[in-house]
Amino acid sequence: MNIDEKLQGWLKSHLTLEDVLPTQMPVYVNSMAYFFGTMTLSALMVVIGSGIIIAIFGPGWWHVSPTGHFFNSVHFWGVEVFYFGLVLHLLAKFFKAAWRDGRWRTWVIGLVTFAVTIFSGITGTLLQQNWDAQWNAVQGKDPMNALGLAWINAMDPGQLLTLHVALLPFLIVLFAAIHIGIVRSESPVRPIERSRKEEVR
Amino acid sequence: MSKRSEAYLSGVPMERYDMIREGLIVLSVVTLVIVLLAAFFGTPDYPTVTAKEVATKQPLLFLDRSLSYFSGQSGLQTYGPPYTKDDQNAQAVFGFISPARWVGVVSPVNAQQDLAMKPLERIAVLNPEVATALAAYKQASPDQQQNWIKNYAVALKKATDDNGKVILAQGDYGPVAGLMNGMLKLARAGLLERALDSSALLPYDLNNTKSLLFLEGPIENRVAQHLNELGSQWGMTNEMGPYPGAWWLWPYAFLYQLPGIVNSPNADLITGLIMAAAFFILIFLPVIPGLNRIPYLIPVYRLIWRDWYRRSKD
Repeated sequence: MNIDEKLQGWLKSHLTLEDVLPTQMPVYVNSMAYFFGTMTLSALMVVIGSGIIIAIFGPGWWHVSPTGHFFNSVHFWGVEVFYFGLVLHLLAKFFKAAWRDGRWRTWVIGLVTFAVTIFSGITGTLLQQNWDAQWNAVQGKDPMNALGLAWINAMDPGQLLTLHVALLPFLIVLFAAIHIGIVRSESPVRPIERSRKEEVR
Repeated sequence: MSKRSEAYLSGVPMERYDMIREGLIVLSVVTLVIVLLAAFFGTPDYPTVTAKEVATKQPLLFLDRSLSYFSGQSGLQTYGPPYTKDDQNAQAVFGFISPARWVGVVSPVNAQQDLAMKPLERIAVLNPEVATALAAYKQASPDQQQNWIKNYAVALKKATDDNGKVILAQGDYGPVAGLMNGMLKLARAGLLERALDSSALLPYDLNNTKSLLFLEGPIENRVAQHLNELGSQWGMTNEMGPYPGAWWLWPYAFLYQLPGIVNSPNADLITGLIMAAAFFILIFLPVIPGLNRIPYLIPVYRLIWRDWYRRSKD
């Protein structure tokens, strides 16, 4: 068995260049509702970019440098815009019943990515080295402990830092890539047909 | 185009499209918006509450907290997993669903030893008065120790703070008053946190569990209330000040506003399980009868695809 050959065959039938870099799109992809996913992805890129800069200089940088404070602010507002886009994206997909026609995998992976981002956001909050981090650490430990997640210690910045800058972003990018890859491979779901709606009624 | 897409889009009119171009335009606009928000509003950065600050500005509160650990009467002493072995206080639902018990002690903390006796032993090296008091305390009988602690606790409730100087009525406190005074001095010197967190990993210890635990409770609750961050004030979803916090956790914080949940000793577990259930409902929503019909009953899709329906009609 030639693995390269198999992979080429799989890509040719599942994810062609036209899927990855589309030059045409179904005419029904024509609404603001399709903008929210791109908005979320763009905000994620800003969050990761600003996060990389903060990571280079260390978590304490933003407390002692105006430049560091600015990049921390970009990171903070990037997260706010990210969730704004993500919630709108989720609502749009829900009201389009976008899981139809065998697209349940996209729905599930999207939600799993959402869940991972929440843990990433929490670890980020706990790494701020200020009052909000201190308060959220002692408050957050109780639900974590009660849910059997005590092996993630909200009061251990060493563990939180590695989770926040390595594992969780890796998972988010991986899941987001799979999510987008499947969307591109399967193409955007078709509009709900009127006959189907009437049938439901 | 993939075989699946070709079959799926058969008969659907296509339009010219440039994904990268559109993506770059959106990325530019989103980046600009974020940069402007960052430049104009910045980030909240309220400093941490330190033991030094509390011991200096609120010495009575600090002594009360120190005494609770020293006496072995703090809630942390019987918290259960992951800090202590006794698991009667571990949160549970229906008696047997108790993930905390299943996980066990993964971050052992003996509040009396770790948050009081060990720091006192460090002070004793530097301060002969504390060394003498500590030796006297250890040599006394358990009944005598408890008697001193009880007398001191009663007196502390009536004590006054005269510009940082604690005025305590005369009484039989044995060495306890000297020991608590030692804790106060250690904290005022700014050395308490390091004394609490130091371990065999020094100088590379990155774990702040003990120092963060020390100030939790009444001391931090006062600050949180002042900053509108208590659980009853939608706690973790708020940043301090006029900043949006983790508003995407509102459904989670909402559950803590329900009297039936927030008054339960198992509130955290109940809330967590409800959120986990809600997540699985969302995951399986495409196959849950009724819920998967909501998009048809609330036809937002007509608005989203209005051009398509108009085109089909024509």
